[in-house]
Amino acid sequence: MANLKEMRLRIVSVKSTQQVTRAMKMVSAAKLRKAQDAIIQIRPYAEKLHDILVSLVDQNGSSDFENKYADHKEINKILIVAITSNRGLCGGFNSNVVKKVEELLNTTYESLYQQGAVDIIAIGKKGVDGLKAKNIKVSGTIHQLYDNLHYSTAEEVAQNLMDAFSKGEYDRIDLVYNQFKNAAIQKLMVEQFLPVEITENPDANSDSHPYFNDYIFEPNVVEIMRTIIPKSLKIQFYKALLDSVASEHGARMTAMHKATDNASELVRELNLLYNKARQSAITGEILEIVSGANALQS
Amino acid sequence: MNLEIITPENRLFAGEVELVKLPGTSGSFEILMNHAPTIATLMEGKIKVKESNGKISYFEINGGVAEVKNNSIVVLVDSSGLV
Repeated sequence: MANLKEMRLRIVSVKSTQQVTRAMKMVSAAKLRKAQDAIIQIRPYAEKLHDILVSLVDQNGSSDFENKYADHKEINKILIVAITSNRGLCGGFNSNVVKKVEELLNTTYESLYQQGAVDIIAIGKKGVDGLKAKNIKVSGTIHQLYDNLHYSTAEEVAQNLMDAFSKGEYDRIDLVYNQFKNAAIQKLMVEQFLPVEITENPDANSDSHPYFNDYIFEPNVVEIMRTIIPKSLKIQFYKALLDSVASEHGARMTAMHKATDNASELVRELNLLYNKARQSAITGEILEIVSGANALQS
Repeated sequence: MNLEIITPENRLFAGEVELVKLPGTSGSFEILMNHAPTIATLMEGKIKVKESNGKISYFEINGGVAEVKNNSIVVLVDSSGLV
């Protein structure tokens, strides 16, 4: 029976696919751990920077900070930065970002988009492909960023975005990316990158500050703000990238885990079918032999 | 007093120190025990650290921010190397 041979080949091929997905899962798990470590590394820096910013604002109020990155202008031109990955096979990771961008263009920024006043930069090849497939024009890509993701490289890109904003090329820059919750959960985020929102601590100037610190500022508050705000923006951008990388590996790990499970299920079913077919073939053969023998005897 | 030097990618130094010399934007300055709370921006230069056991080490930085509060110093730097 040719059918039996076909089935045997099919089982072998499913098994080898399963091996590939299992290996990819392991690789992703290892890379995820590395990516998570990077997020943990950046946390103390980000937290401390935020603390300093809060204590500055606490003591001085946020209103009097003139800053070129905090200009709330009338919004005539928008840049959306879609952060995706360079590689696929990670479930809905990339398509979620693409869908979100499309949704933004059709809802919040609809009128501006129709005037052609929304630009999109995609970080990651898969994002570019996905957006192009939906006929959304991508004005820039930066996927070599992932080859060597360090603070210094991310900083450069962030600086370019900040320059574009301060020169007035854009009135608002949004980041769309997957925030890392845990290996199985990614939260799709749309975050306003620029202009900066300086949030005042609601507890400021109340009695909840028993050890209110009367800081000395060197050289002065304005100068410090001028240094700290770009720093915190770069950190925000770098953090978004790291989150996205960790999410990518998490998503791939989950997707590959499911694929491996599905393959085992398929192998089980195929084995069952194969054994049934084999059994009926044997039964048929025995019947033939027995009836042949009977015919000879009689 | 306690000192921490942090970059976005790692922690360069954490421990008890006796003296820290920082390259402030408006001139370099030293911090000893019971310094008043300060927030200062730093420029390119060297951080000198004298640890409690007398060991002196230097860190090359290219700018950053320092906060001094309750005898705890936190220095945030962009990138640096041990010299």
